[in-house]
Amino acid sequence: MSGALLFAAVCLLAAMCAAARSARVSFAFTMAGTLAGLLAALAVLFGPDDWEWTSAFALGGEPAHLRLDGVSALFLALVCVIGGAGAAYARGYWPDSAYPASAARGRVWWNALVLCMGLVLTVSNGLLFLMAWEAFALCGFFLITLDNRRPEVRKAGWLYLAASHAGTLALFAFFALLAAHTGTWDLGPTRDVPPHLFWLALFGFGMKAGFFPCHIWLPSAHASAPSHVSAIMSGVAIKMGVYGIARFGGWLPVPASAGYAVVGLGAASAVLGIAFAMAQNDIKRLLAYCSVENIGVILIGLGAALLARAHGNAAWGKLALAGALLHVWNHGLFKSLLFFGAGSVLHATGTREMSRMGGLWRSMPWTAGFFALGAVAVSGLPPLNGFVGEWLIYLGLFDAATTRAGFAWAALPAAILLAMAGALALASFLKAGGTIFLGAPRTKAAAHARECAPGMLAPMGALAAACAVIGIAPALVLPAISRAAGSWNPGWSVTGAPFSILGPAQFVLAALAAAAGFLLWKKSRSNGLRRDLTWDCGYREPTPRMQYTGGSFAGIVAGWFRWFFWPERRFRRPRGPFPSASLRLERVPETVLERLVEPAGALITRLSDAALGLQHGRLQAYILYLVAGLATLGVFVFLEGKP
Amino acid sequence: MMIVRLVLWVALAPLLPGLINKVKAWVAGRQGPPVLQLYYDLIRLWQKGVVLSTLASPAFVAAPAVAWVAIAGAAFLVPLGPAGAGLSFHGDVLLMIYLLALARFCTAWAALETGSAFEGMGAVREVSYAVLAEAAMFAAMLSLAVQTGSVSLAAMLSPVPGAGTALLAAGLFIVLLAENCRVPFDDPNTHLELTMIHEAMALDHSGPPLAVILHGASMKLLLFAVLLTAAVLPLGSLPPIAAAASLAGGVLLVTLCAGLAESFLARFSFRRVPLLLTMAFLLCLFSLLVAWKGGAA
Repeated sequence: MSGALLFAAVCLLAAMCAAARSARVSFAFTMAGTLAGLLAALAVLFGPDDWEWTSAFALGGEPAHLRLDGVSALFLALVCVIGGAGAAYARGYWPDSAYPASAARGRVWWNALVLCMGLVLTVSNGLLFLMAWEAFALCGFFLITLDNRRPEVRKAGWLYLAASHAGTLALFAFFALLAAHTGTWDLGPTRDVPPHLFWLALFGFGMKAGFFPCHIWLPSAHASAPSHVSAIMSGVAIKMGVYGIARFGGWLPVPASAGYAVVGLGAASAVLGIAFAMAQNDIKRLLAYCSVENIGVILIGLGAALLARAHGNAAWGKLALAGALLHVWNHGLFKSLLFFGAGSVLHATGTREMSRMGGLWRSMPWTAGFFALGAVAVSGLPPLNGFVGEWLIYLGLFDAATTRAGFAWAALPAAILLAMAGALALASFLKAGGTIFLGAPRTKAAAHARECAPGMLAPMGALAAACAVIGIAPALVLPAISRAAGSWNPGWSVTGAPFSILGPAQFVLAALAAAAGFLLWKKSRSNGLRRDLTWDCGYREPTPRMQYTGGSFAGIVAGWFRWFFWPERRFRRPRGPFPSASLRLERVPETVLERLVEPAGALITRLSDAALGLQHGRLQAYILYLVAGLATLGVFVFLEGKP
Repeated sequence: MMIVRLVLWVALAPLLPGLINKVKAWVAGRQGPPVLQLYYDLIRLWQKGVVLSTLASPAFVAAPAVAWVAIAGAAFLVPLGPAGAGLSFHGDVLLMIYLLALARFCTAWAALETGSAFEGMGAVREVSYAVLAEAAMFAAMLSLAVQTGSVSLAAMLSPVPGAGTALLAAGLFIVLLAENCRVPFDDPNTHLELTMIHEAMALDHSGPPLAVILHGASMKLLLFAVLLTAAVLPLGSLPPIAAAASLAGGVLLVTLCAGLAESFLARFSFRRVPLLLTMAFLLCLFSLLVAWKGGAA
């Protein structure tokens, strides 16, 4: 075990060193490293023992302590899978020939990111954790700003950095207070620290996880980054925040109210995140907002688990927890798959605007198929993996409801909101898939799109296969999830019961669906197939511009959420018998950022500017300030009555 | 046994739209089409050729088949009174709801294949209104789960009638009308594409795929009728023959009510559809609160 992890770290370091000289060698090292890391993680997940290592020497005053238990191994496996798949995808997507300036830099930071995430997951010492966390955040910044000539990318990068550091600041306070209470930097299960410390962790890690309303940095950063970077940021990096919340929610005493808060934040993120996703026209922004939703889904499960643990380890808590942990994997897999698909589309059409695409299935059938599979998975539909995870969470919530215990009331709104988020996700991904891949091409670029290289399709195929396998054979991953749940809260291992019928049912369903589709196609063929224009009320010359657009698709739902979106609208009606230019624009802003954070920032800047008037360089006035200050102090001391 | 059950679902489903049409004709004083009209239509469509939009991919034909399998799978999970469910496990109710969602995804995906604005509109309406219908459905199922203390359809659908039952029945009936695109949400008889939901999505389908879509829709209607009946009537406490008879009677009654609603109501404007669905959600929510409070007292 130690050997495998050491080998993985050395390989990733070697990949960083080789990045500038040879793309191929660097890639080989990355694959070897991630594979070794994956094997180590799986060995922990499917084996009985945790892995621990303590250095003989002191680092920062205490021996360095590394640990890989069920929870961290679960996240490490995801890091390694996406780390490898993304590196493979990047070879076709961000090659040296097209990006001579940044391709090598991208490889260096990619391997550094994977390495740092691995460190965050294994380090078990507060001081070293903060260092690894900061390094991980910086790697993310350099990857997001890989294409730093574009101003929007730089802006997104700065926003990411600022938000990330706001969270890190809270984590500094958190770890310092934790160390002050326990007397050591070493991390582990502790029960005798004040419960309110958890709030600091929730905010600090939440900034990275990107739940609502801490998600302000997420849409622009994930949309502007190169697609393979978006995939690892959205699929894996934000999970580090979830890891933090799960880790310290498991190790520390958690105030009773925090369970409700996590469920509430999760439900808000799920519904609002996916509502914002629905309103986007930019495919990568849509996917980024959808990540906010999925983090919400995970948090609902985690919050329910916290609630259950706080109230006597109720049995339904472990189902919710298992669902949340499984959804960590699932979301990482299908979100990366969708970002790869979006990247291929972007590569082929040169735009992220869905309203400039259409009909791409014809030229990019493989990408279309993988994207459609990802869309079914992310909508949480059977028989794919998204459903399995959400099913476990629902099961936890429904079981909680049937107990009718007083604190379980939170399960009712959570389950209903989760259902609404699921239906909205279905609508959003129908919009994305339909606008991009179906119908007629809306622009020349879309009409002349070409399928991406096999090197980019292969990682997509691998991720799609993983989604399908977890969907139709969930019993395969259950031991791993159960192991992770057991190390989160001892005694919460999940037995095989929940999947014993669902798994085979999903498998039969998938087989029947495939067979039925094939048979109906055969039957239609044998009856005689004829091609003709789409029916448009007898209109014989339909143009691509007459198709339904993504904007109209979102119309109904966007109308429901107008109270929250505060959309910007400009509307000029056509007037007169010969109308000239008319226009209708509607844009949904990042409401929290543009309506709350930016105005608040502007206010602070204005106040600071006003305060700047005090500093003008006139010595007389400065002396006056001093005298006035001393006089005030004197009066204060005099009134207190003591020298 | 499994085969018999599936055959029962598949064979009986097309009866319901025929019955609804008969009720409508009867109220209007017409003779109306035969009750078995949909069977004739299905047989004829199954033998016809297919006209495919030039824009459509093979998924345009395959998606209706997947949707049909999903609906049949959902029906398989619904217990038929004394006969029980084809497959029953802890949490099957969630699989049933999500299978219906899968069917919705496939139908809407096939609709978008054509690039037609009409079918786009139908698809949007279907998936957008489903958000509210899904919320109502979950509230209803939570209410049954809380009332019976179980998360398996077989046990959930043998409730003890109480104050919440009437609320639940009203809520589920509105959801039935919405999910199956009946008046006042949608008019299955209209031929104006702009105002339709389900029919608009199937505009470009023809031949066997259309037959599969129509049959799937009728099976979904039967599923909701059975679900509504079983959620209201205490079938579990009756002897098997009486339970089967009351289930059949309940389904017929639901069909009659749908037909009457269709005869006496006009289709709502689309702006009012969300309001009605919200009402369905509130009805189900109140029945949930009644169930929650009922146990505490």
